[in-house]
Amino acid sequence: MLTFVVFSFRRAWQGFWRNALMSLAATLTMVLMLLLLAGFFILQNVLLASLSYVEQKVEVVAYIENTATQGQVGELVAKIDAMPETASVEFVSRDEALRRFRETQAAQGREDLTKYLEANPLYASINVKLTAPGDLDTVVAALRDEPIVRNVLNIEALVDRVVTVTTFVRTAGVAMVAIVGLIVLFIIVNTIRLAVVARAEEIEIMRLVGASDAFIRWPFVFEGALVGLFGALITLGLLYAAADPLSSAMVGFFNVLPLQFGSLARDTAVIVTATGLGLGVLGSWLSVRTYLIR
Amino acid sequence: MTVSPGPTPSLIDRLTGRGRPVRGDQNVVVLHDVTMRYPNGKEALKDVDLVVPEGDFVFLVGPSGAGKSTLMKLLIRDLLATHGDVLVDGHDLARIPRRMVPRVRRKIGIVFQDFKLLPRKTVWENVAFALEVTGSPRRNIRPSVDRVLALVGLTAQADQVPTQLSGGEQQRTAIARALVHDPRLIIADEPTGNLDPVISWEIIQLLLRINELGVTILMGTHDAEVVTALRKRVVALEDGRVIRDETGAAYHRED
Repeated sequence: MLTFVVFSFRRAWQGFWRNALMSLAATLTMVLMLLLLAGFFILQNVLLASLSYVEQKVEVVAYIENTATQGQVGELVAKIDAMPETASVEFVSRDEALRRFRETQAAQGREDLTKYLEANPLYASINVKLTAPGDLDTVVAALRDEPIVRNVLNIEALVDRVVTVTTFVRTAGVAMVAIVGLIVLFIIVNTIRLAVVARAEEIEIMRLVGASDAFIRWPFVFEGALVGLFGALITLGLLYAAADPLSSAMVGFFNVLPLQFGSLARDTAVIVTATGLGLGVLGSWLSVRTYLIR
Repeated sequence: MTVSPGPTPSLIDRLTGRGRPVRGDQNVVVLHDVTMRYPNGKEALKDVDLVVPEGDFVFLVGPSGAGKSTLMKLLIRDLLATHGDVLVDGHDLARIPRRMVPRVRRKIGIVFQDFKLLPRKTVWENVAFALEVTGSPRRNIRPSVDRVLALVGLTAQADQVPTQLSGGEQQRTAIARALVHDPRLIIADEPTGNLDPVISWEIIQLLLRINELGVTILMGTHDAEVVTALRKRVVALEDGRVIRDETGAAYHRED
């Protein structure tokens, strides 16, 4: 058994280097395809991140009666916060609301008109961020039932549009990655097949001198894995080199994007390596099989 | 003069005993009533009976397309007969499990007209290849390869690659590779087809010497001069049928 594994690895290593041109072609195709796949995967993730960023902007604002006591407001905040549909609840007092209003006015360079007012005309509010924008109705209904809630700002039309767009973009993104994945599969398997066909004579000789199927197949499978591994490593190297300028460009474009770069890099590395290895092995397995079944 | 050393029916019956290998038998090859029809409908062999006892030297002759190559492919189980029994060293090739096929092939050494050597490997590596890919322990490989290279007279050329060798040396490398498994049978498909007459004789001499060591030889050839000069057993195929099976015969019918 050990002899067999050592033999297969040695033959795979030899096969890879002695057929350098074919190996190079297969590895480069692998790199190109993995880059394509990784590119689409990253794009898909950036899209998803932008979508959740947009979704986080969906905020239910409930205005509170001026008669409400601090205790009542505290109870309401705790109650809404406990709902599974809500991500965060913030209480904005009347004074705070006025301060924020003044800030925005000042930021837009307008004159502060509130100084002509004798009293604060604004209501206190609780601002609720949702876990998912689809839960809008539940949260709005719960807020409307509260006696101290004066009214709830109606944002249904906006939320509907956001949900429609995000659902579409998510589905389209998954479909794109799936299609690209399929194309990558066919091209890589085909390239490896070419590399195997180029050595049909070697396989023929192995068969004629009485090599068992395992001895013919496994060196090629290991060689395919080698192509996949090298391809994945080169791809990851290229992506790593491109990561910094790319992400700074993206941050510049989307302003502040709540993208988890750590986990995305890890996921991409896993996907690229697994795809490379998997397709290398699958490609060789299928290609050699043609010569074994008689 | 038509001598048919054909076996008695009882022998055939015994040899084709279903399934189990026949042990202690002296026949290396037995074909009984073999018909080979290709998927395209062409019948390459028709009702062929052939028994080759151990130690025999058989010339398989006949025009191109007569079925010589098909017969050889049946013996290495590259093809399965449409009908009839093919036994090699007692193994019924239609009935052995797939994983046994490589083991039976190791009992057969095959030599081709085009040598089928790996161009990037040296003579030594080409011969060792046959042992490596069949899982021989590494410590056994060196003595076996050295021994067969000495037998075919290529010890001095061991480190050369095929392109540095003459045609005869390449064919001797192929013969060494065929011998390295200590086969019971050597199948040679036109081994001298690409060689000039002098070199051809060298190869024939080598095969005769191997035959003297007890290895059965089945050689397909068009070389009338060689066949007639050696007076060995001649099996002639024509249009898929055995039309002549004589010992001590010439290439052409002599009556």
